[in-house]
Parts: sequence; C-alpha cells; structure tokens
Amino acid sequence: MNSASAIDIGRPASRQETRWRYWRGELKGSEYMWALAFIVPYIAMFLVFVAYPVVYGLWMGSEASLYSQLFADPIYQSTVINTVLYLALAVNVKMVLALLLSGFFMRPGWWMQALLMIYILPWAVPSLSGFISIHWMLNGEWGFLNNLLYTLFHIDGAYWLNERWLAMGSAIVSHIWKQLPFWTVILLAGRMAIPLDIFDTAKVDGATGMRCFVHITLPLIANLYLTCTLLSTIFTLGDFNTIFFVTGGGPANLTHVLATIGIRNAFDLAQPRLGVAAVMSALPLMIPLVIVLMRRLRTAEVQL
Amino acid sequence: MAYLSRRSFLCRSLALAAAGSFARPYIAKAAATTATMWWAQGFVQDEDVALKKVIADYEKASGNKIDLSIIPFAPERQKIISALTSGVVPDLFNSNPGEIITQYGWKDQWVDVTDVVETQKANYHPTALLAAQAYNNVTKQRSFYGVPVTSAVVPIHMWRSLVEKAGYQMSDLPKTWDAFFDFFKEVQKKLRAQGMRKVYGQGFQVTANGNDPNALYYAFLIGYGGQNIFTQDGKPHFDDPAVKEAAIKALSYLTTSYKEGYVPPSAINWNDADDNNAFHAQLMVMDVDGTLSTEVAIKAEHPEQYYQEIATQGFPLSNDGKPVTSQVAFGCGLIPKGAQNVTVAKELLKYWIQPEIVGAYVKTGLGRWLPAMPALVKDPFWQDPKDPHLPGYAKQGMVDPTMPFYYVFNPAIAEIDAEHVWSVAMFDVINNGMAPAAAIDKAFKRAETIFAKYQVV
Repeated sequence: MNSASAIDIGRPASRQETRWRYWRGELKGSEYMWALAFIVPYIAMFLVFVAYPVVYGLWMGSEASLYSQLFADPIYQSTVINTVLYLALAVNVKMVLALLLSGFFMRPGWWMQALLMIYILPWAVPSLSGFISIHWMLNGEWGFLNNLLYTLFHIDGAYWLNERWLAMGSAIVSHIWKQLPFWTVILLAGRMAIPLDIFDTAKVDGATGMRCFVHITLPLIANLYLTCTLLSTIFTLGDFNTIFFVTGGGPANLTHVLATIGIRNAFDLAQPRLGVAAVMSALPLMIPLVIVLMRRLRTAEVQL
Repeated sequence: MAYLSRRSFLCRSLALAAAGSFARPYIAKAAATTATMWWAQGFVQDEDVALKKVIADYEKASGNKIDLSIIPFAPERQKIISALTSGVVPDLFNSNPGEIITQYGWKDQWVDVTDVVETQKANYHPTALLAAQAYNNVTKQRSFYGVPVTSAVVPIHMWRSLVEKAGYQMSDLPKTWDAFFDFFKEVQKKLRAQGMRKVYGQGFQVTANGNDPNALYYAFLIGYGGQNIFTQDGKPHFDDPAVKEAAIKALSYLTTSYKEGYVPPSAINWNDADDNNAFHAQLMVMDVDGTLSTEVAIKAEHPEQYYQEIATQGFPLSNDGKPVTSQVAFGCGLIPKGAQNVTVAKELLKYWIQPEIVGAYVKTGLGRWLPAMPALVKDPFWQDPKDPHLPGYAKQGMVDPTMPFYYVFNPAIAEIDAEHVWSVAMFDVINNGMAPAAAIDKAFKRAETIFAKYQVV
C-alpha cells in the first residue's frame, strides 16, 4: 500500500470522492495507473482499427442517392437473390452434413482418426489455391472434371461456369467443400462432450441408433448446432473468396453476392462509395443475426 | 517490483512523443527531393527492367530520388482507387485502368500536366493528344491530365502453324472483314477433321471481365461502320441508323460464332488473362487481344513459336474495302491532386517522354507497348523484317488510321465499359435466347441511363 492510499483510509469520503473512486474502479494510486497503461493501447487499437473504419464506412455509404443508384443496377438485384440463395443452401446443407459426419467420426479406431486428418485438409489449405484449382478443374474444355468424364464414359461434361445456376451451384459446392470440415469438428467436439452414461442408460432401456440420435444427441446438441448455424451464416455472408475465385462473379456478373459486388463496384466501376453502399445494404440482414447470436450466447441455461 | 507512478508514466509518454518528433525531420527533409511513384508490373520481366533503368538514369541526372513501387496490375488498380478516395496519394502513377483519367478528371482530382505534354507536343501522335485529355466537371473544361508514355492497339494473333496444318497458307487470308473472320471457321473444320477435338477457330472474348470484351466489341462495331456511336464531344448517337445497324451486326457476328461452336465455350466467363492462356494452349487458332503480351510472353522460352509459329496483323479491311480504324490505349503518367512533390513528378515525366528515353524504354520492354510518337517506330527495332510481329503492330498503331478508346470522351462510357453493357448484351443473346436487335435496344437503354449522370457541357 503506498502513502496516498494510507491517507485515503483515514479521510471521510465525500460524495464527489466516492464517485471518483467508483470511476477508478476502486483502484488506488499506482494500481490505477497500471490499469490505464494496460487499457490505453487496447482502446487506441480499437479506435484506430475498429471504430474508425466502421464510422468511415458508414460515412462513405451515408448518401441516400447511392442506394437509389444501387437498387437501379440490374446486377445488384440478381446479387441479392444470389446472396439469399447462397446463404440458405450453403449454410444449411453444410451444417446438416457436418452434423451427420460428426456422428460418423465418433466411431472408434485409429483409422478413423487418420481419416479425420485427411478430411480436415480442405479447410487447412489456403483458400486461394483451393478455389483456383476448382476454377481450373471446372473449365469446360480442358478441366480435370470434364476430361475425366470423357476418359471414363466418353461423355462431354457440362460447362460448369457458363450458366448462372450451374455456376452458383459450383460455388455453393466449393464453399461446402471448404468449410464442412471445420463445422464437423466443432459438432464432433459437441457430441464428445455428451456424457456416455446417458447413452448407456438409454441402451439399457433398449434405445439404439436413430432413437438415441433423436432423443439424446439432437436435444443436447441443438443449442450448439443453432449457434454454429448463426455463426456460419454471418461468416458466409462475408465470404468473398469462394465466389471471386471460383466463378469470378460471372458469367455476365450474374453470380455475384453482396461480399463480392462491393469490390466490383468500388474497383471495377471505380466508385468506392457505391461499393461501400453495397456492403452496407447487407446490414439489415447482418445486424439481426448478430443480435440473435449475442442473445443466445448470453443464455443462462447450461446446455451443450 | 517497481511501481509506475503517475508522474513517471507521463514523463515516459512525453519522452516517447519527443523521440517521435525528433525522428520525423529526416523524412521531411528527404521529401524535398523525393517523389513517390507507383507503376504496374510488366507482363514480362524486361518491362520492369526498362522502367527501373529510366528511373535510375533520371535519379543520376537530376539528383532527385524516386521511391518506386512496382505493383502487379490488379492490386495497383485497387491501391490507386483507394488512394484517390482517401486522399493519401503518391506523386505519380500510371493510368491503371485507362478509364481513371476520364473518371477522376471529371471529379477534378488530377494535376494539370499541360506544361509537361507541351514539351513533346510536336512529337506525339494526334490520337495520343486526344486521349491524354479529360473533361473536368468543376472547371467545365477539357485539359491535359495524362502524359502519354506508351500506347497499344488491338492486333489479331494467329497460330500460323495451325493455319498451315489445316492446309492453308497465311497468304490465303482474305482481306475483308467477314471473309477474314469466316476463314477461321473453315480452319477449325479442317483441324477437327484431323482429330483435333478441342480446337476452335475464333478466340472471341464474349465475357464480362476486364477490358478485352469491350475492345473486341468496339472493333467489330467500327468494322461494320458504327464508329460514331460516341463522338469527341462526349455525346452518344444511339439513334443514328448506321450506328444501330452496326451495333446489331457486331453483336450478331460474335454471338452467332459462339453459338455455332467456333468460339471456346468457356470464353463466356474468361478473365483478362484466360484468352492468352487459351491461345498459348492452342485451344483456338486466332485471338483478338490488345498489346503484344501474347507474343512477348513466350519469346524467351519458345523463340521458335515467336519467330515461326505465331503471326500478328492489324484489322482487315471493312466489308466494302475501306481501312478500319483501330482504337489505341495510352499508358499515361498521372499526378493526383494532393501529391506532395508535383515538381519532381513533372520533371521525371518531362525527362521520360524525351524521344530517345521513351524510345529506348519501349524497346527494352520487348515492344509489348508501342511508343506514343510515330517517328519512333521508324527505328530498325520496329521495322525488323525478321520479326513477324513488331512491324505490323507498329503500323497498326502509329501509321494506319486510329482513334482513342471511347471512354476518353465521357466518363459515362468508362462506366458503360466497366459495367460491361455490351458483354451483357452478348450474354442475353447467347444464354437467354434474346434477338440481337432486342439485346441492343436493352443495352442502349442502359447506356442512356448511365449517360444521364454525366452531362458534358
């Protein structure tokens, strides 16, 4: 205890002093200075790298005329449809598959662990090389996929990136290929946290297979599954790499999503404010998702 | 453990701030003679070597220092747009993309470089002088905002070896527009008959990525007599019957070729470099693509291909036997407003555009880019009869009739190109089954909407 705090102890606290101490978090003397020294860099970093870019972005996209220009752009209209479709299909198919595969990887055996290591590879490799490889593989004339089809079955494969819905489908499958291992491992961890006693008890009562899944696994993992789905939706909404490197937004700019159209508007059209406006237009979808996610994370209920 | 008192905390903070202040004057002093410069990386290393030599020679001659960053094309483009948006700009960069001269000239974001251009005005090609100007919507006047350093046309690249394999000679190539391009359909048929399952006659970029599809469409539009779709006063002429007829013809030719299977199907979603790659892979016999990047890219590794197997030429005559005007793009130096060292940036440009300096610069870069001065292509380098590419390329860009790309006339055209309005029309015909006339009506309507935002007085 330093001398200043010793003096403080003997002095009757006035209302102003009490308030001051409250603001100082009940810290005394050098403790308060240490606290400041630790927190100031964080606040400075937060202001420079989080608050400033967000406020700057809001300012850049604040003109109402930008949004009328944006909504009049036919490419933007198809982009909104693509984004909704991309989220609905990519997220849900991916999460359902992750849930099912997490059950598969619960099986015992060293070979299952080895298989899991291989399975994780798509998530572990850098996005750029993975998606560019897929782009080349899907090339209609000399891509690996169509060459394989011709070699094995003497059939000419489709031109995967030439038609809007085929290209969107290719991008969705690529996204799932890339992200599925991550969510499988998360749900696998969730499943492993379920006490085995519950399953043993159920087995004594005669429940096996699907019954155990429906009545034990699913209810206990539901909260985790929902939280993961919300998180995945937020991540997928901001997913730039898949579309940009697999379809390039084509053909004819018809496979853009909100994450890529902003870049197109900002740099291809040389209209950065319009690019920011495109990204801002995702906020009505993003903010409710974040609020719901935060509410879920605050839940007092103890559940997996 | 030592406690940090309030006083010592403040003292140390002040000491740190003071140290920062003392550290700064070195940079401030250096800024007096140092200019920051960004330039796009070359397609081949020789281009970067040429650039570094110019800068090193200038530094030696002037005593000034150039802080040069050579940046790949796409990231540089994003960096430039970001810099112009934030206001934190270098002193000099190249026009990447070319459209920014017009787009940011409109917004009064360039330093006027008339004094720089004046030093070589007599030597410049008239098209270069036209392309280096932009309309300023603040001053309501056109002025020189770009300093032309290089130029490029859109030549036709052909695999001589494939033409000959099909049983033809290059001398068999027809001289007029439709006959010339139809010739490659026959070449494809002959090659397919020899078992080349995946070879296509025509490498048309019917995509909506990059500049290639715009250049291709405008080449056909001009070839069919629609040159006046946009005029130097920045006005569109969509209601001109000759323009509309040419616009429909151009769209019909390109899309019919695609639908009939003479264009690689993946061309509908090619990116900027895909046509180069497809050409090198002999996926197609012919490619209409800007600059000599296709040829210089393989010159060192495959000299036999450069000298014997690939041929280059300008556009054929129009269907009625008249020369077709080629559009020329110019690589310009730009000084953004807010630049800290305009004086050095201008000095460097004045030094660089001296005929002997810029002439050596384009030659060291293997001739991918042409100079912007007609006299320079009289140099033996450009007229080498042993080189199957350079003489024709130089003739097309500096001797034959040329005009700048339309976007220099009005930023609306830059936006039409960036939106790929013509590519969307191609897609409407190819994938959506729309008639070419209806697709052109739709494209013209979109173009008019964009024009409404940019009224050149």
